[in-house]
Amino acid sequence: MIVVNNKEKLEWYEGMTVQDVLDKMGYVYPRITVSVNDRLVQKEDYTTYEVPDNASVNVFHLAHGG
Amino acid sequence: MATKTKAGPTKYEISINGKAATVVEGTYLLKAVMDAGFNVPTLCHHKDLTPNGTCRLCLCEVEVNGKKRLVTACNYPVRGEITVNTSTEEVKKHRKNLAEMYLGRWPNVEAIQNIAKLCGATDKEKYKSELTDENPKACILCGHCVRACSSFMIQDILGFAGRGIKRHLTMPFGDVDPHCVGCTSCGYVCPTGAIQITDDMNNPVDPELIRRHGMKVNAEMATLDKLQNRMREVGTANIVEVMDAYDLLPVHNFKFGKHPDTPKIDSKVMTRDYFTQGAADACWLGCSMACAKAVDGFELKTGPYKGQKVVVDGPEYETAAGGSNMGGFDLDFIVEYNFYCDTYGIDTISFATTMAFVMEAFEAGIITEEHTGGKKLNFGAMDEALECLHEMARGEGFGVEVGQGVRRLKEKWVKELGADPDFLNDIGMEVKGLEFSEYVSKESLAQQAGYAMAIKGPQHDEAWLIFIDMVNNQIPSMEDKAEALYYFPLFRIWFGLLGLCKIVWNDVAPADNSKYPPQEAAKIPEHVENYWKFFEGMTGIPVNEEKMLLQAERVFNLQRLMSYYFGRGTREDDLPPLRAIGPATVEEYLSREERYDKQMKEEIGIDPEGKTVEEKLAITRDHRFKQYNIVLDASYKRRGWDENGVPTIERLKQIGIDIPEVLALLEKPEQ
Ligand code: SF4
Ligand code: SF4
Ligand code: FES
Repeated sequence: MIVVNNKEKLEWYEGMTVQDVLDKMGYVYPRITVSVNDRLVQKEDYTTYEVPDNASVNVFHLAHGG
Repeated sequence: MATKTKAGPTKYEISINGKAATVVEGTYLLKAVMDAGFNVPTLCHHKDLTPNGTCRLCLCEVEVNGKKRLVTACNYPVRGEITVNTSTEEVKKHRKNLAEMYLGRWPNVEAIQNIAKLCGATDKEKYKSELTDENPKACILCGHCVRACSSFMIQDILGFAGRGIKRHLTMPFGDVDPHCVGCTSCGYVCPTGAIQITDDMNNPVDPELIRRHGMKVNAEMATLDKLQNRMREVGTANIVEVMDAYDLLPVHNFKFGKHPDTPKIDSKVMTRDYFTQGAADACWLGCSMACAKAVDGFELKTGPYKGQKVVVDGPEYETAAGGSNMGGFDLDFIVEYNFYCDTYGIDTISFATTMAFVMEAFEAGIITEEHTGGKKLNFGAMDEALECLHEMARGEGFGVEVGQGVRRLKEKWVKELGADPDFLNDIGMEVKGLEFSEYVSKESLAQQAGYAMAIKGPQHDEAWLIFIDMVNNQIPSMEDKAEALYYFPLFRIWFGLLGLCKIVWNDVAPADNSKYPPQEAAKIPEHVENYWKFFEGMTGIPVNEEKMLLQAERVFNLQRLMSYYFGRGTREDDLPPLRAIGPATVEEYLSREERYDKQMKEEIGIDPEGKTVEEKLAITRDHRFKQYNIVLDASYKRRGWDENGVPTIERLKQIGIDIPEVLALLEKPEQ
């Protein structure tokens, strides 16, 4: 089990990447910052960075809107 | 080894002077070299401008598949596993020779002297000729200015003319171009001082300070916007698909947050089939963001200008989302109502939100064709909606009623048609008599309060907190929310008073904004600082967060007191309709049943099992109003207002506006 933004719980599985988490959460916004257990993950690593079980993933969306 | 994954970028392991580095495909070699800690001399390169590879000083040796060749690092994209050497004997020889030529031509220009030193060139005489220019501020033909004009300002005022030794910088036809907006970007990037800025309009105290920060803004527009919100390319329209993805796009009078037909009105369609203008001519000439868009040659299908081809300014996000709110998933309709609202002087948001309310009332049977002049006003009735708009402008028929807005329609239908006031109040999307702007606020308590507490009514010029609250979960406690509802309205009021723009503040962010902790990052500290520096540069008065908040708080409290005086500034004026804070109907509850049931179990602590939808709806309603009132109390407290939402005398004293004229507003509220 992993926790996203200290709120949403997601089932963890072997090989789960940051991109998988974003897809599951439906996070498509371009201006996000992702950290896994407080470590920043670069955009180009989303598809390869594996999220460990029990991780706390933070996906920070920068504000938007008129 | 190249690593490639399904959707991720390809990366290469390359070697730079024997040091291993991992580089994302397409990265320019110069950046890779610098990142690896090596230095290479450059002249025509500028970090914020597209490279053009003209000075050739950045030459490096690259080995691909055993073959060695020289490339200019600044515009060489890495596309394979390469071995790089930044200072072979051959490279050094070329660089020295080039530097000597530059030195011979412009011996007194400091930038050239520095390069010469780096390349070991000392002989000023070797290439001395009739071309030699002794001016220490001579133009060295680096092209920074030309590229800044085109990429920062989307203008092409400057260019080179002539070839070889006759090459020189010029404006079209060698004359001063009246299209130059005077942005000073060219002067800013010029490394020699060949372009001098002589005119500082409006007499700023410190024009250099303003320019320094203004150029940061320009550079971000040119380099980062295309990777972020694409404001230049699509403007605010990019928000349509984002809001749909997050269940925040208003559909059918804010019942739902997404719709399968959204792709028909998203920014892809707008850019492909509609937008024709994206030049920097929108709000004001010279804006480097230039997010306003226009549609040319649009043939109108209705109204007094039917059949004519017109230019339409927009559509902006809110106008497109007004379309989805009315069930009008058709850009022809959206552009047409946009044009006629503009032409008639009607606000697109108020029109769309009122029309959506009318449509829901029609579907609920509160009004019928008998009241609408025979128009079937179901959701998606686009022709009929346009007809209402034309009637509104002509002052005829049912359109006149629609033109009264949601609040008056509610009162009228209760009084004249005996409609259920509770139902109308639940679904009528207005606060303080103003219609809601086009975002679904149901799942974000902070956004609900930001909307409903806003002095002029429910829209986001004070606070837009959906992401930071609902998605990021950054302000979980009521105090956190109250703090956000304190800071953001004050900041936004402050820069609004200065005439600065919201879009430039947070629709683009510095690349390293994530170095701040999330609460701070949400403020975009560097952009706030830009705004402080603009203020200081103009007035000579330094400003920081404390001073800014104080300036804004004085105005904010004065505005609130004036609302109070005119009878729109107490707690009851800050209460939203149910639809704004949660599901208002069975249909709505059922559409997100899983979410609401889960919340009931986890947040309210009641098991939804075995309850009817009506019961669940009532429980959710109670809970959400309770929560809303808690956030309201916390915000009033943070702002120094009493429980009724009225600024206290104590607070007015603290911020130094306890003068008789202001206090008088407190004493005599008009009924
Ligand atoms: S001042 Fe601005 S618009 Fe005018 S030439 Fe320079 S960069 Fe171009
Ligand atoms: S005017 Fe300045 S920026 Fe423009 S080409 Fe000459 S030296 Fe470069
Ligand atoms: S820096 Fe001028 S060619 Fe690369």
